[in-house]
Amino acid sequence: MNAAYTELRVQADTVWQAVAKPQRPLVRVPIATCSLPRGASETLDALKSAVADRGLDVDVGIIGETGLCWLEPLVEVRRPDGSAILYQKVTPENVEQLIEEALAQDGVCADLAFAVAAGDDVDGILRLSDLDFWAMQERRLLARCGVIDPDNIDHYIATGGYSGLASALAMSQEELIKTVQESTLRGRSGSNFPTGTKWEFLRGKEREPKYLICNADEGDPGAWVNRILMESDPHAVIEGMVIAAHATGATYGYIYLRDEYPLAIDRMEKAIEQARERGLLGENVLGSDVTLDLTVWRGAGSYVCGEESGLLASLDDERGMPRIRPPFPADSGVFAQPTNVNNVESYADVTLMLEKGMEFYQSVGTEANSGTKLFSVSGHIQRVGVVELPFGFPLRELYHAADPAPWQERRTLKAVQAGAALAGILPAHIALKLPLEPEAFREQEVIMGGGGIVFIDDSACIVDLNVMFSWFLEDESCGRCTTCHGGTQRMSEIFLRIARGEGRQDDYGKMAILGQTLQWSNCVHGSASPTIMLRSAEHFREEIDEHINNRRCPAQVCRGLVRYEITGESEALPDAAAICPTEAIVQADDAWSIDQARCIKCNACRDIAPDAVQVVDISAEPVPATAT
Amino acid sequence: MLDTEATLEIQQLVAEFKPGNADLLRALHKVHHRYGYIPKESMAVVARQLRLSEAHVYGTVTFYSELRLTPPPRTRIDWCSGPACRIKGGEYVRTALESVLEIGMEQNTPDDKLGLHLAQCNGTCDFAPQIWVGGKVVGPLSAADTIKLARELKEQA
Repeated sequence: MNAAYTELRVQADTVWQAVAKPQRPLVRVPIATCSLPRGASETLDALKSAVADRGLDVDVGIIGETGLCWLEPLVEVRRPDGSAILYQKVTPENVEQLIEEALAQDGVCADLAFAVAAGDDVDGILRLSDLDFWAMQERRLLARCGVIDPDNIDHYIATGGYSGLASALAMSQEELIKTVQESTLRGRSGSNFPTGTKWEFLRGKEREPKYLICNADEGDPGAWVNRILMESDPHAVIEGMVIAAHATGATYGYIYLRDEYPLAIDRMEKAIEQARERGLLGENVLGSDVTLDLTVWRGAGSYVCGEESGLLASLDDERGMPRIRPPFPADSGVFAQPTNVNNVESYADVTLMLEKGMEFYQSVGTEANSGTKLFSVSGHIQRVGVVELPFGFPLRELYHAADPAPWQERRTLKAVQAGAALAGILPAHIALKLPLEPEAFREQEVIMGGGGIVFIDDSACIVDLNVMFSWFLEDESCGRCTTCHGGTQRMSEIFLRIARGEGRQDDYGKMAILGQTLQWSNCVHGSASPTIMLRSAEHFREEIDEHINNRRCPAQVCRGLVRYEITGESEALPDAAAICPTEAIVQADDAWSIDQARCIKCNACRDIAPDAVQVVDISAEPVPATAT
Repeated sequence: MLDTEATLEIQQLVAEFKPGNADLLRALHKVHHRYGYIPKESMAVVARQLRLSEAHVYGTVTFYSELRLTPPPRTRIDWCSGPACRIKGGEYVRTALESVLEIGMEQNTPDDKLGLHLAQCNGTCDFAPQIWVGGKVVGPLSAADTIKLARELKEQA
């Protein structure tokens, strides 16, 4: 084994003992973008002062995110006996109770306990491994997320971190690239280009210096799988980049990180500094002849910079407009030098593969896609969070684990959107039959994408979703190709018109022409932009027809096709009138009504007086004013 | 308008940046961080420092939605435009905000105390539909909640 690595490991193991075999209770709070809005840092402060005030012999620390976002702020309590219990929704107000009960001899705070993560069973408390949302997962990339302190490099090293790099350094470039190729690893951003092949392109270039880019511009709305990795296990990404540097001969790298992720930027920068201090970045990494240094490069809010040539243009002091290829990045990337761009999760996958070995890496997944994929789930579900699943995992099972409510009490699942704005949308009856792997989605003429999955029930309108996404695509188009900036604008106009009740049957023909035209755009932003529109027209024709033919929005979402009426009595009506921002709710002769000319359909009156205010189709007969 | 002293300050601020070194956005971030926006004069300074045309710098500034050319409001309200927010009533929240504050996205109230910004999803979708008030997530919000909050902010401002 690499001597420099062994030395680092010895030191790290000592530090890690305080977590693995704590001599006194250890209380830790996940500090991450999902937990901070729920007050995790206030909880942490309250824990620290409560422990100090009482003079308790207890350590308090932080961890990254577990992916159980809906339970935040979580608190983990570990004890010297090896037990670990997760407590949910711990606010500063119930910190006292937690300390009182959970830190007492053999104590458990039953009110706040969510699950037993390690140690003996506790009566009446769930075992984390029995929770379907947890049990279905194959936590490999997430193995350290919510377990280590992301700001502590020793935690990373002691749990196997940088041992993959040590193994890689013992291999030749050819062996290493062959390993990555044989793993079947393909770009995790949604492009699915074989990672090993990309590396081989760069290795073959003689011009120096060569550059590595980590694409951390996770702009897909509804996807935050890269964020969780960078915030909770940043060194896994750095290690993957150093391994890539060895394989390709690259000596400098940029992590292109979106502006919307300030905590990830902080954590990555801190991790890079620590890696430099330990000789894991810089010249002669771990005593080898590999040299790599990294910079976190901050984006400024542009979706199309997630497209690799747009990203390169953005780095290169240009506007982030995707370039015309060839030349490809391996020939002419950043500063016109040979460059390789991989996604955050792809680099982390390389780290995993080298750390655990190929047999382990390929022990789950499918023949075409070994290993696991991260997914973030959101929308009309109870459990919003991040999971790691083997490729081929049934989407239906993911849905049931994410939304365990008895279905009859809830609305019906209508559609599933994987992969965000460019990827498509499918009706639930088709989507729920799919295994989670790119090929299955491609067969349905959509893309699985980078990991965001939004579950959509029948309270949503398909026309409204198209209004949203086509506007997003228009807004984010870089403007280079007329096909794209003009085409997405036309898409947007058509759906806005349908939503206003001015749709026409020949709009379908226009959609088809747009679909054909847009595919000739220079980059994927334009060529994939009609996917949602085309799949909607194919699978949700009936619903769109209702808008066009009958000027009716079945979900009553499109505001041009509904009106608000007072149809009943309620004591809350004066409050509803008071909340109305346009003073549209009027009382005359003791009867309440809504002045349609003033109403902006913001829904606030219905929030206040749901029994009295109703949304009706625009074509419905006017409702007489209601006496109170 | 910024005076010469301010121009000198910007020169110092961006003195570390070099042409052809992937520094343009970094320089702009630094200016933005200092002033809360990109003052007109700073674009000339940055252009000179990086040997780019002013038009190039201006084009870059306008390309990115997180860089602004006008002073920020005292408290910025970011409205999340993501899909989880949309399907849970995000449009109601937007309408409520715009109506109470009497401004549209990317505008400030006449006294510059409050402003609206169209923000992108950052994956705190458990709060959908959400906004950020001065960087702090608030959600899930109904239209009625939003109106109450917006009126309070207006009072305080």
